[in-house]
Amino acid sequence: MDGVHDLGGKQGFGPVDRAHEDEPYHGEADARAYALTVSLRGERAYPVDWFRHVRETIDPIDYLSRPYFDQWLQTAVAMAIDAGDLSMVEVATGEAGDPVRTPAPMDIAAVRTMLTNPANFEREGAAPAFAVGAKVRTASHGHSGHTRLPAYARGATGTVIAYRGAHLMPDDGARGIERAEPLYTVAFARGDLFPEAAGSPDVINLDLWESYLAIG
Amino acid sequence: MEPSYDSDKVAEIHRHLHSHLPPEPALRVKALESLLVEKGLVDPVALDTWIEAYTEEIGPKRGAMVVARAWTDDGFRARLLADAGAAVAEMGFAGQASGHLKAVENTDTIHNLVVCTLCSCYPFAILGMAPAWYKANEYRARSVRDPREVLAEFGVTVAPDAAVQVWDSTAELRYMVIPQRPAGTEGLDEAALAALVTRNSMIGTDDLKGFDPKGAA
Repeated sequence: MDGVHDLGGKQGFGPVDRAHEDEPYHGEADARAYALTVSLRGERAYPVDWFRHVRETIDPIDYLSRPYFDQWLQTAVAMAIDAGDLSMVEVATGEAGDPVRTPAPMDIAAVRTMLTNPANFEREGAAPAFAVGAKVRTASHGHSGHTRLPAYARGATGTVIAYRGAHLMPDDGARGIERAEPLYTVAFARGDLFPEAAGSPDVINLDLWESYLAIG
Repeated sequence: MEPSYDSDKVAEIHRHLHSHLPPEPALRVKALESLLVEKGLVDPVALDTWIEAYTEEIGPKRGAMVVARAWTDDGFRARLLADAGAAVAEMGFAGQASGHLKAVENTDTIHNLVVCTLCSCYPFAILGMAPAWYKANEYRARSVRDPREVLAEFGVTVAPDAAVQVWDSTAELRYMVIPQRPAGTEGLDEAALAALVTRNSMIGTDDLKGFDPKGAA
């Protein structure tokens, strides 16, 4: 979707603020918000791209101004309400109705399992259509759902530098459909994406699914 | 119930949450925590386990150990560049977002910089929690368009004829930078080398040029 989350290349932002850069959490509320989010999502097999998309639908002003894990928590709560695990009345009154019994809340063992097991997003899928070294052109338009082709890289020509296997396709995942598609790393000259950088030796690399691409 | 996968529905839920929850983040979190615990959706003990994992156990020291080993062991360096997920698993560091890890190496002519412009994807298992600036709008917006200006703000200068290679983490691959080993570190062992590798150098916003070999002797 053409949301404010799609920040790459947007202009008008000031210097990067490095305050508190060595603290893992930025205060107790930040730490609690993180832990609540990951615990709430834990046992529920929501696709990660549905989580990402639900965050993208936060009001634009809130998206740009609220703390990062505060947004995560609001996203996880919105997902719980959407799925019927929690009601807006309960949030508004602060009073819980009958407790949810299944699945049981994530316990310490489940947390340890998640902390030590990398998720695998590669699946059986179609053979890649593009070879390493191929010139490819990205789609000119997005769509109103979740997608991982940033706006700054639309309608651009780049070079496939690696094939990564068939990975779960995020646009489908955010719609509850599990489907894998060839994933490539595509390199773009920075000057081809941003006119003021013409002639720059810099390269911007993106990981892009096959349906975002056509032979360039 | 299953998720609706309906963008308009969840956007409306967000607007209601905005009106029903206190605006102050600490109060919001407190209100939601007591509700979620009472509702049986989260276990308070598990919350502490999550928080402690990233304060006491998982952090950039892991990445620093990986880099130091790559600097001192050519076989490991080759395995790290070929399949970083497997290489860090050898060291016992497999975890969140390490499954599709990719290591990219700085050279005299290439400086790598990692960003996630669309959300804030980050290799938690290797680098711990992302710093606040990595998740901030400024870094996400500017590092693909003006990477050299962003780097200059961190004190990193890349020669005009060298290339900045930016990696925008748009899929489930996660990137870590192998910085160049600083000059004057020939006599240091793996542990001493790990101690000089900064978290920012593994994102690309530090080149370790500030390292003083005399201070380490």
